[in-house]
Amino acid sequence: MVLKNMNDLNRLVEGGARKRLILAAAQDQHSLGAVIRARKEKIIEPIFVGNKKDIEKICESYNYDIEGIRIIDEPDTEKCVETAVKMISSNEGDILMKGKIGSATLLRCVLNKEWGLRTGNLLSHFALFEVDTYPKVIAVTDVAMNIAPSLQDKIAIVNNSVSCLNRLGYKTPKVAVLGAVEMVNENMKATLDAALLSKMNQRDQIKNCIIDGPLAFDNAVSLESAQLKGIKSEVAGDTDLLLMPDIEVGNVLYKSLVFFAKAKVASIILGAKVPIVLTSRSDSEQAKFDSILLAAAASK
Amino acid sequence: MEEMVVALKKKRRVAVAWAQDTNTIGAVAKAVKKGLIDAILVGDPNEIKKTCKAEGIDHKEFTVVESENEGKAAAEAVRLTSSGEADILMKGLVGTDKFLKAVMDREKGLMIPDAVLSYVCALEIPAYHKLLFITDPAVIPFPNLDQKVAMARYSIEMAQKFGISRPKIALIGASEKMSRHFENSVDYSIMCKMADRNQIRDCVMDGPLDIFLACDKKSIEIKGVETPINGDADILLFPSLESSNPFYKGLMLFAGGELAGLLRGTRKPVIVMSRSESEASKYYCIALSCLMA
Repeated sequence: MVLKNMNDLNRLVEGGARKRLILAAAQDQHSLGAVIRARKEKIIEPIFVGNKKDIEKICESYNYDIEGIRIIDEPDTEKCVETAVKMISSNEGDILMKGKIGSATLLRCVLNKEWGLRTGNLLSHFALFEVDTYPKVIAVTDVAMNIAPSLQDKIAIVNNSVSCLNRLGYKTPKVAVLGAVEMVNENMKATLDAALLSKMNQRDQIKNCIIDGPLAFDNAVSLESAQLKGIKSEVAGDTDLLLMPDIEVGNVLYKSLVFFAKAKVASIILGAKVPIVLTSRSDSEQAKFDSILLAAAASK
Repeated sequence: MEEMVVALKKKRRVAVAWAQDTNTIGAVAKAVKKGLIDAILVGDPNEIKKTCKAEGIDHKEFTVVESENEGKAAAEAVRLTSSGEADILMKGLVGTDKFLKAVMDREKGLMIPDAVLSYVCALEIPAYHKLLFITDPAVIPFPNLDQKVAMARYSIEMAQKFGISRPKIALIGASEKMSRHFENSVDYSIMCKMADRNQIRDCVMDGPLDIFLACDKKSIEIKGVETPINGDADILLFPSLESSNPFYKGLMLFAGGELAGLLRGTRKPVIVMSRSESEASKYYCIALSCLMA
């Protein structure tokens, strides 16, 4: 099964038990708005960790119904994150979400060796995009976290993303390893890594997906382009997941999709004990809500 | 190999550098007698006549071109081939280094500009159901990616001359897994993608594969590895001279193999045979050069 649009994520969580979401440094209006909406739609049951006075003030002025929501009062923002992460460590939550705090602080706590959320896997960013010009949702990784992933990193990033897509109902997602061209070129490292990842997939060293690359962006998402170029590929034109060569390509693609193609986007951090919603302040409330939905669907 | 000989249509002219030893003259005489070639022997006429007499061969079967030493003989044989007076160049008693120096001379040599010099060999092995081509058992000690790609293309081209339009080429390693600790498996993965994308044409390529997976269908079943080579390889591309050379010599010695090999990367076929090769193999080398001319 593939997701045609973001709404299809609803089908995955409908009727299931609500996921417990812990919002760290909850005194953030956009985050609270998205969380309250997700609670209203019975997707999650939140716990707020943060400055209780500020949280209540925001909720009152925006008319957010917080009756019955547990709020843990912790005015110190650093401490808030620590508390939230420790709660997840002790199985009191299914999803971690960033509120009014820097990403670096949150990730430092997630990676804490004693009480963090490490699993031994690399952390990576996973985003889903819905655009009118592609017949299904397309996943993109990594546009925000790993700067210049090595081959080993790329293997970890693919594995993170594929197991997430597996949980979203994709049995064998099609993974396109993006390059500037579809040919192997010794001077373009991305194309060499792409060839290696393809071979490892053929040899079952990377499982539960079909990998092809290098593919240029057009070949990856358009069967017509691939056919014009004479590319024989199970992935070309039918990509479920795009693997970016580095953060610069990834981030520019992400922002072009949002600004020029008016894409709907949902994103989470994978590789920790639970999915982490780590949207940026500039993301819309809709994007935050969709990210919560994605986290709920991806959560075990 | 005999099928190859039978299929030859045109008589070729072979220029032999410093052709005055029993070994060389014997092999050339056999090919001349069978009607495969005409031979131009470059060397000391007296020595040539003496050797012919000792072997019971009529020296009038050959054209003899006088040359005073092995270096000059190599240069003259290269010139004859380059100018079109001969179709094929063959090494005689001249040392390999001097011979290759003349072949690789930038102005007067026989190299295709910027081409990789390599070697492809066809093996007839009683235990295998068809000819098996291997590369490179003679020239490049540790081929890099570019050299491996050239080796693949040369061997595909040779297999095609044998009528195999889309040869199956197995890139040989110790296992079929990709590991970044084995540089060759990295190169092989890249080459497979190049074949996917038609950057290496007209072949079915897979690797890394061990020799069992490349040449034995039963091993495919046992290991459960999916590969388009499917135990039916036409070509084995080896990661190094030290793996390919013992492989073919082992087959010659223990498995009754015969071979025909040729330098590649030259404008005209160049025969370099080792003295220890069998009579039959030497003859097949000459026949192969006629096929590739």
